[in-house]
Amino acid sequence: MSAPVPVMTVPGEPPPTADAVRASGLTRTYGSGSTAVHALGGRVGDGTAGVDVAFARGAFTAIMGPSGSGKSTLMHCLAGLDTPTGGQVFLGGTELTSLRDDQLTRLRRDRIGFVFQSFNLLPVLDARENIVLPMQLAGRRPDPTWFDAVVARLGLRDRLRHRPAELSGGQQQRVAVARALLPRPDVVFADEPTGNLDSRAGAEVLDLLRSSVRETGQTVVMVTHDPAAAAYADRVVLLADGRVAGDIDDPTADSVLAALRGLGA
Amino acid sequence: MLRVITAGLRAHAARLVASTVAIVIAVGFVVATVTLSETTRSTMLEAVGARYTSTDVVVTSTTGAPLDDVARDVAALPGVAAVDLARSTSVQALVPGRTGAQYLLVDSVAEDPALRWQHLAGGALPDRPGEVAVSERVGAEIGDVLIATTYDDEGREVTSEATVVGVVDLRGDPSAGINGRAFVVGEQVETWGGLGPSELRIAGWPRTDPPLLAAEVRSGLEGQAVDVRTGEEQAVREAEALTGDARVLTLMLLVFGTVALLVAGLVIANTFAVLLAQRTRELALLRCVGATSRQVRRSVLAEAAVTGVAASALGVGAGIGLAALVSALVGTDSPVPLAGVTVPLSAVLGGLAVGTVTTLLAALAPARAATRVAPLAALRPLDPAPLRSRGGVRRLVAGLLLVVPGVALMVAGIAVGDVLLSVPGGALSFLGVVLLAQRAVPPVVAAAGRLVRSGGVTARLAGGNATRNPRRTAATATALLIGVTLTSAMVVGAATTRATAQAGLAAQYPTDVVVTGNSEDGVPASLVGRLEAVDGVQAATALTAGGLTGPDGYETWSLGVDPAEAAPVLRSTDDLPLPAEGTAVLPWWTVDTWGIEDGDEVTLSGDGGSRTFTARLGDTDHPLLTTTDLTALDPDAVADTLWLRLADGADPAAVVDEVTDVAGAAVPTAAVTGLASERAALDEVLDVLLLIVTGLLGVAVLIALIGVGNTLALSVVERRQENGLLRALGLTRGQVRGLLAWEAALVAGVAAVLGVVLGTAYGLIGVASVLGDYGEVVLSMPWLQVGAIVVVATAAGLLASVLPGRRAARTPPVAALAG
Repeated sequence: MSAPVPVMTVPGEPPPTADAVRASGLTRTYGSGSTAVHALGGRVGDGTAGVDVAFARGAFTAIMGPSGSGKSTLMHCLAGLDTPTGGQVFLGGTELTSLRDDQLTRLRRDRIGFVFQSFNLLPVLDARENIVLPMQLAGRRPDPTWFDAVVARLGLRDRLRHRPAELSGGQQQRVAVARALLPRPDVVFADEPTGNLDSRAGAEVLDLLRSSVRETGQTVVMVTHDPAAAAYADRVVLLADGRVAGDIDDPTADSVLAALRGLGA
Repeated sequence: MLRVITAGLRAHAARLVASTVAIVIAVGFVVATVTLSETTRSTMLEAVGARYTSTDVVVTSTTGAPLDDVARDVAALPGVAAVDLARSTSVQALVPGRTGAQYLLVDSVAEDPALRWQHLAGGALPDRPGEVAVSERVGAEIGDVLIATTYDDEGREVTSEATVVGVVDLRGDPSAGINGRAFVVGEQVETWGGLGPSELRIAGWPRTDPPLLAAEVRSGLEGQAVDVRTGEEQAVREAEALTGDARVLTLMLLVFGTVALLVAGLVIANTFAVLLAQRTRELALLRCVGATSRQVRRSVLAEAAVTGVAASALGVGAGIGLAALVSALVGTDSPVPLAGVTVPLSAVLGGLAVGTVTTLLAALAPARAATRVAPLAALRPLDPAPLRSRGGVRRLVAGLLLVVPGVALMVAGIAVGDVLLSVPGGALSFLGVVLLAQRAVPPVVAAAGRLVRSGGVTARLAGGNATRNPRRTAATATALLIGVTLTSAMVVGAATTRATAQAGLAAQYPTDVVVTGNSEDGVPASLVGRLEAVDGVQAATALTAGGLTGPDGYETWSLGVDPAEAAPVLRSTDDLPLPAEGTAVLPWWTVDTWGIEDGDEVTLSGDGGSRTFTARLGDTDHPLLTTTDLTALDPDAVADTLWLRLADGADPAAVVDEVTDVAGAAVPTAAVTGLASERAALDEVLDVLLLIVTGLLGVAVLIALIGVGNTLALSVVERRQENGLLRALGLTRGQVRGLLAWEAALVAGVAAVLGVVLGTAYGLIGVASVLGDYGEVVLSMPWLQVGAIVVVATAAGLLASVLPGRRAARTPPVAALAG
């Protein structure tokens, strides 16, 4: 199914590019001196610069790698949650690294959706309030038709009045997906979205993410260490020791596993 | 373990500031109160007891009969070296250079130098009749000649002269009051109309043991109507009679001290909860590496003990410093004289003990909670706070068990007008309210949160957050609630007391100032205008005076008043009605001597004829008629008395001084009396009391607000992940700060509103039961002040959110992902 790709064009903003997110020469170092940890790129005395990677619009990409490979750091930097030590990140045509905290906050609110591994929802708000929270923070009104469509697709219609404590883990994660999809962001970042779920609930969430890409052209970038989860993606970017170590199109669980083994993980 | 404790104290020193400040303030308050009270007592004892310092034994009459005969018996006792027959009287005296006569209290000077106690500022004490030593207040100088007016047995005026030979320094003796004092030899007291000696001051031989001498005197006077005390006993007795009020004040302040400690306790408990929550992982790690739960509890309690002792010591120092400051500021020139600082050991030890015990007690619950930290917690992320608190039923029952009988007692107290019923009732019900508040506050905060839902997403989130940990919210709000309740109770109570007391005073003393000419020619008609021109005099009216003959056949001095002119001068006509034509307002003594009842007919006659009036009884010394009626009966009646009303807010002392000058210039014999100063004094006392008490309760509120800040700080720690999530989802830093501000405003605002409502009720109930006895209670509601309390408490709550808000705003969005 090839639905038209919804591209938000805002006057005065740079024209849309083919890549939804792009990083060039990205490095991230924690600490300094002899205790410095190079989470991304730029090893001392090593000629290589930072990480260069791009994520296509309307695609479902998985970032994979063993523990300590820098996959979470990469995602944090791409999503504007963390400030890179060096290099640049572009969301569409916007350069993130030059933004001030408030501009970055607004950009996250308006153009990025998040699904985290755990603690995705605010306990004091019910499901509906959680779903519309980012739009309300932005002072925007959700389109009712779109809201109904998202809620229906995620099977949450009967759960809207429930607080997170009254929902199962899978339901909570579906609420988080709905919240991420509702504002039609440029990218949805998912950080181990199935990490805390049993395999059936995990498969449901992955299905939903994939169908949102297929049916509405949503861009999704997911960090995972589970080859089975990665198999739902259109493409897998492999990371090892803070550098891009491989790239697999149309992955299967087996091809991903084989590639990981090749990394010595 | 000790090393862990000291390391912990060092590492968390900054966090302990809140507890320390709370306990320093509370302990300092208690110590300052006790110290000031003790200082007052010793100052008073020194001033009042000055005349007994060299006296071994004092004999007073139990019946008031003169002690001349007793004095002879005493002098005959072998152990007695000297006896002073203390006599007193009073005179009106004219002092050169000052217009108008002064009322002087006159005391005799002991013949024996050993019994003379007066401190001379200059000159000498009188040795013979015709000499006088005066207090500084009289304003006379050595060599001045006073003209004293006294009355002989037949009531005739007698004037005599006395030369000032010395000036006496009374050293702040409060019993001197506003009157001047004069000291003359005993013989002079007698010629000035003094009665026999009312008190015998006895000195024994050198190295006499006063109690032994007292016993000797007592047995020597067996069977006579006298009290025998040692000089010291007498001094304490008189000082206590004067400081009775000060004791009540001390007691009241100590009650507030207890309140401050209670509030401090709540805050400390919260602080320790904050500290321990921040250290859950640390404590769990201790457990993992082998610390027993008992060792963990001991380490927490030891930390509390160290904090408590250190803070209490600081508090004791602060309290003594505060007392010294107050003493230096107030000095001896106040109704409650203070000289230097007398620090009772009990204040120091008591302050230390109270502060430390309060801290330990407050730390008990958090310490117990700390022992429940499972070793596994070190390996897990911080658990979010529990959403519901358990139990509370016992608390509800206990609260109701206290509130219901407490309220019943208060109602009974108002009905009977007995404070002894309503005070315990108030205390019981308030304890109950504090218990119930734990249950009642969270729903009210939730309701208030729903009210502000329209305030946007942050307000809605804050509303939810404020009630997530109901027990903690309740504890925080209760601390503030206690302070606000008591503050507003005081404010409302004082306003009503003032209104009631003023109404009572106005009825009892309707005229501010009375000027009497005391001359046969009366006062010049122009004096009214001249007095009205005095700054601070609002209105004046002249009364005529003449002699009328009543039903008993004796001539009675009577006054004539113009009702229309006098009405605006009087503050109240409740007790002193003004006469209409044909009506005579008669003094209460006419009930006995003339057999008059209110509404009876009474016939009065004078040189101009006689007439029958309708009698009204009122608070007047002389029959009061209209000027027209009086002039008709006594054509010779002249204006002799003036009534003045002072402007509200004028300084009565200054105005009376000027009025005395103006009246004295016109009529040298004029005397000025009045109760304006009493009214002003009452106002002043109420103002000072209110200021002190409000300030002290402000301390409780301040401590409570530290608690608000603490609770928020704890929330920030617990909701780190959540705040990170909000930041990731697009909440700006400002919005995060706003979230905390809303939460603080909700808790503080609800506590303030509830506190003001409760406090108003308590204030009105308290006043109703205290003043119910004295007649009608005039309710007065100081809306402005009460509104200010709510605003200030809420604003301060907002202020308390600033630091935690900044901390929350610094939460990086990545914190949400830190599993």
